[in-house]
Amino acid sequence: MNWLKKLPLKRKITLVILLTCSAVLLLACGVLAAYQLFDFRRTLVRDSIVLADVIGKNTRAALAFQDENSAQQTLSTLQSEPYVSAACLYDANGNEFANYVQSGSGVQLPAHPPAAGHYFELGHLALFHPIILNGKQIGTIYLQTELKGMYNRLRVSAGVALLVLLGSCLVAVLLAAPLQKPISGPILVLAEAVRNIAQRKDYTVRVPAQDSNETGLLTEAFNQLLAGIEERDKALRGEIAERKGAEGKVQSQLARLELLHSITRAISERLDLQSIFQVVIRTLEDNLPIDLICICLYEQNANVLTVVGLGTSGAALATQLGLSREARVPIDENGLSQCVRGRLVYESDVSGAKFPFPQRLAQAGLRSFVAAPLLVESKVFGALIAARKQTEGFSSGDCEFLKQLSGHVALAAHQAQLYEALQQAYDDLRQTQQAVMQQERLKALGQMASGIAHDINNAISPVALYTESLLEKEPNLSARARDYLGTIQHAIEDVSHTVARMREFYRQREQQLALTPVNLNQMIQQVIDLSRARWSDMPQQRGIFIKIETDLAAALPPVMGVESEIREALVNLIFNAVDAMPNGGTLALRTKISGKPARLAQVEVTDTGIGMDEDVRKRCLEPFFTTKGERGTGLGLAMVYGTVRRHNADIEIESAPGKGTTFRINFPVPAMPAGAPAKDAAPFVVPSRLRILVVDDDPLLIKSLRDTLETDGHVIVTAGGGQEGITAFRHAYERKEPFAAVITDLGMPYVDGRQVASAIKGISPSTPVILLTGWGQRLVAEGDIPAHVNHVLNKPPKLRDLREALAQTLSSTKS
Amino acid sequence: MSKRSSIASWFYILLLVVAPMNAPAQSKEYQIKAAFLFNFAQFVNWPSGAFPGTNAPFCIGVLGDDPFSGALDATIQGETIDNHKIIVERSQNVADLKNCQMIFVSKSERKHVAEILSALDSKPILTVSEVDGFAERGGGINFYLAGTKVRFEINPGVAQSDGLKISAQLLSLGKIVQSAKEDK
Ligand SMILES: Nc1ncnc2c1ncn2[C@@H]1O[C@H](COP(=O)(O)OP(=O)(O)OP(=O)(O)O)[C@@H](O)[C@H]1O
Ligand SMILES: [Mg+2]
Repeated sequence: MNWLKKLPLKRKITLVILLTCSAVLLLACGVLAAYQLFDFRRTLVRDSIVLADVIGKNTRAALAFQDENSAQQTLSTLQSEPYVSAACLYDANGNEFANYVQSGSGVQLPAHPPAAGHYFELGHLALFHPIILNGKQIGTIYLQTELKGMYNRLRVSAGVALLVLLGSCLVAVLLAAPLQKPISGPILVLAEAVRNIAQRKDYTVRVPAQDSNETGLLTEAFNQLLAGIEERDKALRGEIAERKGAEGKVQSQLARLELLHSITRAISERLDLQSIFQVVIRTLEDNLPIDLICICLYEQNANVLTVVGLGTSGAALATQLGLSREARVPIDENGLSQCVRGRLVYESDVSGAKFPFPQRLAQAGLRSFVAAPLLVESKVFGALIAARKQTEGFSSGDCEFLKQLSGHVALAAHQAQLYEALQQAYDDLRQTQQAVMQQERLKALGQMASGIAHDINNAISPVALYTESLLEKEPNLSARARDYLGTIQHAIEDVSHTVARMREFYRQREQQLALTPVNLNQMIQQVIDLSRARWSDMPQQRGIFIKIETDLAAALPPVMGVESEIREALVNLIFNAVDAMPNGGTLALRTKISGKPARLAQVEVTDTGIGMDEDVRKRCLEPFFTTKGERGTGLGLAMVYGTVRRHNADIEIESAPGKGTTFRINFPVPAMPAGAPAKDAAPFVVPSRLRILVVDDDPLLIKSLRDTLETDGHVIVTAGGGQEGITAFRHAYERKEPFAAVITDLGMPYVDGRQVASAIKGISPSTPVILLTGWGQRLVAEGDIPAHVNHVLNKPPKLRDLREALAQTLSSTKS
Repeated sequence: MSKRSSIASWFYILLLVVAPMNAPAQSKEYQIKAAFLFNFAQFVNWPSGAFPGTNAPFCIGVLGDDPFSGALDATIQGETIDNHKIIVERSQNVADLKNCQMIFVSKSERKHVAEILSALDSKPILTVSEVDGFAERGGGINFYLAGTKVRFEINPGVAQSDGLKISAQLLSLGKIVQSAKEDK
C-alpha cells in the first residue's frame, strides 16, 4: 500500500473514481452472473425434465410392450440434442432397457437408477425421471446433459461484462481528468508553494487566494502560518548570527590553544636552542597572520638584543629593516626596555612613534607589534617580536597567546641550555675516564717495555763500543773487516733506534706536557718505520702486500704539540688502516697545508680497506667501541681523539663501506712558528789520560768500556756495583789520586746510579758524573736528570758521545 | 429343527424342482400375454357407448379354454382402466361376452373365428387372439411369437370401424395388417 501513499494527488483522485466505478460495476456483473447461472441451471433442469417427459411418454408403449428396438429408436432421436451426452431407459425393476450414448462422449451409464430427481455433477446434469403409465411407474429415464452449453453462454456474458467494464473505466478516466481538477488544483498550488518555500527557505512568498470554500480557508491559514514563520525566521537568523560570532571566538581561542599546545609539544622534543626557535617561528608564521616575526637573545651587559631566529615569510621585510641573523638591536627607552624588564609590550600603532625601534618598523610599513619577553626564573634572556602591517593588528587574545607562548619557549630554551651544559659535563667526564683508562693500559705496557729496552740496551752496549773502537783505533784492519764492522755498527744503531722508539712510545705520560714544535713530516717517516712490523712484516707472512705511499707537503710548518702523543695517534691510525685491509691495499700518508698563510697543518691517513658504514663512522671515536671483538679494545681512536682535543685540533673521517677510509687531523698552526733551537755541533777536545771510574753491574759492559776507553788512552778503574764504586772512589780520593770523572750505570741492585752519583758529589762535588742508562732518553725528555749527575748517556753508548760528554762535563765543572 | 418342519422344507424343495416341469414355457408366455392384454386396454380408447354405465367395470372376456391359468387375474388384480374396475369373464359362448370391452379368443375357438368375428362385428369390442390370420380375417389384434418374444399384429381398420381409437404408439409397435376378406 506504500505506493498508493506516494501517488500524486491527481492520480489518486482518478484512481479513486476508477476503483469506485469498477467496484460497482463488478458487483453488478457479479450479481448478474450469479443470477444468470442460477437461471441457466433452472432452465436447464426444466428443459431436461421436459425432454425426459417427452421421451418417457414416447417410450411408454415400448416399455409396456417390452419393445427394446422401439425404445432404442426413440432414444436415438436425442442425437439432435447436442448437449445431451447420454440417456438410458430402465424398466420398472430398474434394469437397463435401452440406452443412448452420444458418439465420442464415452459416458458410463449408471447400472440402476437412483431416486428420481436431478443432480449437478462434474460437467453435466444427471436427471432421473419416472415414466408413468396409467398412474403407475413403469420405468425411469435417465438424461445426462452437458453443462458446456451453459458455460459457453456464461463465458459470452462474462466477455460482454468485461468489455462493458473496460469501457466504463475508460469513460471514468476521461471524465475523472476534468472532474478532479477543482479538488486537486488548489491543493497542488499549495503543495507547489510549500515545495518552493522548503527549497528556497523564502518565507516571504504568499499563496494567491482561492475560492472561498475549505481550500480557500486552507490557503488563507497557510499564508498566516507563513507570516508567522517569516517573523520567527528573522528572529532566528539574528540569533544564529550572534551565536556564530560567539562560536567563532571560541573556535579561534581553541585554535590558539591547539597551536600553543602543538608548539609546546614540538619544542619540548627539541633540545637545542636554534631548532626550538625555528619551530616556534615557523609554526607561528604558518598559523597566525603575522608579517614579521623574530626571536632575539638579550645581552644584559651590552644592553642589546641579538637576533637569533627570523621568519622566512617576512624575510624581505626583515632585510628592509636591517634585521638579519646576528643583527644587534639596541634597546631604546620605553618600548623594548619595558620588554627586557619582563613585561609584554604591545604597540597598536607605531606610525607616530618617537623611539628608534618602532620608527624602524614604521618605516618598513609595519604598524603594530608585540614584544614578549622570554623569562626564566624572573630573568629576561630574550624576546619574541611579532609585527603586522595593520594597526591594531593584535587582539588581547593574541597578546595573551604570545605571552603564554613566550613563557613556554623560555622554559624550553632554558631546558635546552641546561641540557647542553649537562652534555658538556658528560663529555668531559667521558674523556677523563677514557684518558685514565688509556693511561693505565699504557703504564703497564710501558713498564714492560722499559724493562725489555733496558736489557737490550745493556746487551748491545759492548757490541757498539767494541765496533766503534775497532773501526777507529784498530790499525791494519782488512777492508772486509772494516766493511763488516761498519755493517755491525749500522745494525746496532738500528737496534738502538728501535728500542729507543719503543721506549718513547710507551713512555708514561705526565700530567703537564711541554709543547714542543713538532715536524709532522718527520714524524710520519718515524711512524712508518716504527709500525713497519704491522704493515709490512706481519701481512707478508700471510702473503698479503700493503703498499705505503707518502705525499708530504714540503713547506709544512711545525705545529706545537707533544711529539710522543702525536706519534701514538698516528701509529693507531696506521694500525686501524692495516686492520681494515685484510686482503692488502694501499696505505697513504699525506700532509697538507690549508689556508694562506697556513692556518692548518693537515695529516691524512688513507686506506683502501673495508670502510665503515654511517653508524660505525659515527661511533668509532667512542671508547670501547670496536667491531673487532676480542682482538680490539676500542680504545685506539678514543685515544687519538683525546690527543686531537688536547692539541686543539680536530678530526675528520671520510668513509663508506667498501670505499676505504680517510682520517684527517687538522692541527692549528701557531701564529709564530717556534723555530727549534739549532743544535750547535761545537767541536770539542777530550783531554787524554784521564783517570776514570766505571761502575756497572754488567761485567760485559765494564769490560767493553774499559777496553775502548783505554784504547783512547785513559786509565780505567772499574767497580761491579754501586757500593763498590763508592768505596773505590773514596779510597782513591783519600789516596790523593782522585778520578777525573765517574761513569756509572743507573740501574744496579742495592745501590743504584743515583746513589752513586750523590755519594761521589758528597766526596768531591767537582767530579763530573756521567750516567749511563737504558732509560737515558726518557730521563732527558722528562727533564728528570737526577741531581748530582752531570750528563746522561743512552745505552748503547757511542764512543763519540762518550768523548763529547767527557769533554763537556770536564770543561763545565772546571769553569 | 423339528422333524415335521424338516419334512415340510423337503416338500418345498421338491415343489420347486418339479414346478417348471408342470408349468412349461407356456405359462411365462401367457403371463406376458396377460400383461399385454392389460396394456392394450391402456393404449386403446373406447367410445363412451362401449360401457353400459359410468360405473360399469371394464370387462375382459376369455372365449374358449382359458390358457392363462390365473395369470390374467393376477395381472388385472387391483387395476383400473379410466376408473373402470377390470373384471375377467370366461365363457364358451360369444354371446355371453357381448358386454365385454375386450375378448380374448382362445386357440380352442380356432374353428369358429369367422362366426365369432361376425357376431361381434360393429361392436366396440377389441378382439385379441393367438390364431394365425386372425387379424387378416377381421380380428383386432393377434399375438404371434418372434423367437421367444411375444409380438402382435394389429388390424387398425377393424378396430377403428368399431369406434375404437388405437394409440399411435401401439400402432407403431404392432405389425399392421389389413382385412383380407373385405379387400377381396
Ligand atoms: N681505517 C678504518 N677502516 C675501517 N674501520 C675502522 C677504521 N678505523 C677504525 N675503524 C673502526 O672503528 C672501530 C674503533 O676503532 P678503535 O681503533 O677505536 O678500536 P679497535 O681498532 O677496534 O681496537 P684497538 O685499537 O684497541 O685495537 C674499529 O673497531 C673499526 O670498526
Ligand atoms: Mg685500533
